Amino acid sequence: MLTLITLEFLKLLGSRSARLALIVCFVLPLLWAFAPRLEVLMKVAVVSGWQIPAISIGIAVQFLIPLFIAVTVAEMIGTEVSQGTLAPLLLRPVDRTTVIASKLVVALAYPVLLVGVTVIGSLLAGIPRGYGEFTGGTGMGPGLFVGVGTLTSNQALAEVLRGSGLAALMLMPIAALALLFGVLLLNTAAAALATFAALNLMRLLVVFPETIQRVLLTSHLNLYAQQTDITQPLILLIIYTVGFGLMAVFAFDRRDI
Amino acid sequence: MTKQGAPALPAIEVRGLVKRYGSNTILEDVHLTVKAGEVYALTGPNGAGKTTLIRCLTGLAFPTDGEVRLLGRDVHTDGSRARAYLGAVVEAPAKFYPQFTGTQNLQTHANLAAMAPGGRRVSRDRIREVLALLELTRMADRKVQEFSLGQRQRLGVASAILAEPKVLILDEPTSGLDPLGIGLIHRIVTSLATSGCAVILSTHHLREIATYAHTVGILTGGRMVDTVDLRARQAAYRFRVDDPVGAASALERLPFVRRVSTRTPYAIAYLGGEAGVPDALAHLSNEGIRVFEASPDHFDLYEYYRERVEQA
Ligand SMILES: Nc1ncnc2c1ncn2[C@@H]1O[C@H](COP(=O)(O)OP(=O)(O)O)[C@@H](O)[C@H]1O
Ligand SMILES: [Mg+2]
Repeated sequence: MLTLITLEFLKLLGSRSARLALIVCFVLPLLWAFAPRLEVLMKVAVVSGWQIPAISIGIAVQFLIPLFIAVTVAEMIGTEVSQGTLAPLLLRPVDRTTVIASKLVVALAYPVLLVGVTVIGSLLAGIPRGYGEFTGGTGMGPGLFVGVGTLTSNQALAEVLRGSGLAALMLMPIAALALLFGVLLLNTAAAALATFAALNLMRLLVVFPETIQRVLLTSHLNLYAQQTDITQPLILLIIYTVGFGLMAVFAFDRRDI
Repeated sequence: MTKQGAPALPAIEVRGLVKRYGSNTILEDVHLTVKAGEVYALTGPNGAGKTTLIRCLTGLAFPTDGEVRLLGRDVHTDGSRARAYLGAVVEAPAKFYPQFTGTQNLQTHANLAAMAPGGRRVSRDRIREVLALLELTRMADRKVQEFSLGQRQRLGVASAILAEPKVLILDEPTSGLDPLGIGLIHRIVTSLATSGCAVILSTHHLREIATYAHTVGILTGGRMVDTVDLRARQAAYRFRVDDPVGAASALERLPFVRRVSTRTPYAIAYLGGEAGVPDALAHLSNEGIRVFEASPDHFDLYEYYRERVEQA
């Protein structure tokens, strides 16, 4: 299994779309941190480097990162089919389940990678503003950017780590969904489009009663900044991830390649 | 299951294979058996279903009905064990990761082969060895995207034989190859078969395949219309004589003659091999039959194929 996971990682890091996504995630915070109208838009003064990660994640997480995930994860199946390398893989004495499970592991790691790079870029961009104690909030803790008083560096770091961890986690269902569509459609463009269409369709369901909204994946894409009890949405997102993942595994098991 | 010394079970066994896509029946009730050491050539017109059959054989596609066993294990329900000793190329040209070099691609295949239950390691030396065998040493450290069509095809065969397979399945391994390349593939296949590997390959090179395949299956319109045992055919000798019928009945009495027939002015006999020819000649002259000429009765697979396909 490790062989396959390593192979998948090498292919992921070698793919142009993943490289592009990682560069964008790294550069975006640097641009935003120095944007002249940043504070007008934020409506609060940005006083500390600890606030930049939340700003970057807030921008990237709704549209950009889901797009990157949809395309690159769809490509993990689509490219293999179009370049014909999936068949040779399956001719070797490995279970189909192992093959697709390795892809799933790497697909789920991809959001972690993207969020990680975004946070690293943000922390670099925050250097001029400093990382000492400050009055205000990180944007990912109580009181969001306004905060609830003075934050020490350690508290701020903890909030940033918790927030980015949750951000990565809440993006995982999107990766699993993209893999599922990849297996069903065996084509990069179609699978990426289907993933994105599904997400947008869910967003459009805001016209439905709140009970329905509460079980929608897209209603929880702000988990990283949520300060109320997050157990329920967390469980829901994990169910989505596992569900889509298992569906991908089963769909792959008897698929003609 | 496969105890040593037990009666050899067929290396490849296909029973009642049916494959439909929607309402199109692509394969209809295909049966075939290939023993260890046997070379089975699959041929037939374009669109006959050869590639589909090979995809079902290797477990890439799932049949609508029927079953496929490799070394006694069902390839569709016990895939990883059934493929433990499989080497295969199912597409021409063979496909590899274009961003990795030839050696890296083979290393990946070696790692995957080692994942078999009870898997064997494939050493770096073995990778170099197969690259040399396929005359690819010069390309070993170049990215596959720089390979020519024929070089990719050779790399495909290299990856198929990498882990010393007991079952080798190749879909048109010689397409896109130069004449020397074709000869090379044929030599490799023959030597593997000699060492006990069962081989199925699909091909359109009938006259060449006839020189070393043991069995030829002719597939048209998804049906296996004929299976030709070339070993039996090649043991045929023809004698131009004054009395073919008399000669045939005389030859039939010899213990090593398996079958006789006549095709005036020839009497045709299936001898065990050419060692039987002098005895047959001596016997004919004892019987008072005058022999003007004796020669192997070459079976023309191409002509035979043409007739069969046109009939079907
Ligand atoms: N995935 C598929 N869906 C529908 N029809 C297919 C599919 N794959 C192959 N076929 C059909 O099966 C037939 C046999 O194709 P193939 O096995 O590639 O033939 P061959 O290799 O003998 O030239 C063709 O008529 C082809 O159109
Ligand atoms: Mg074909």
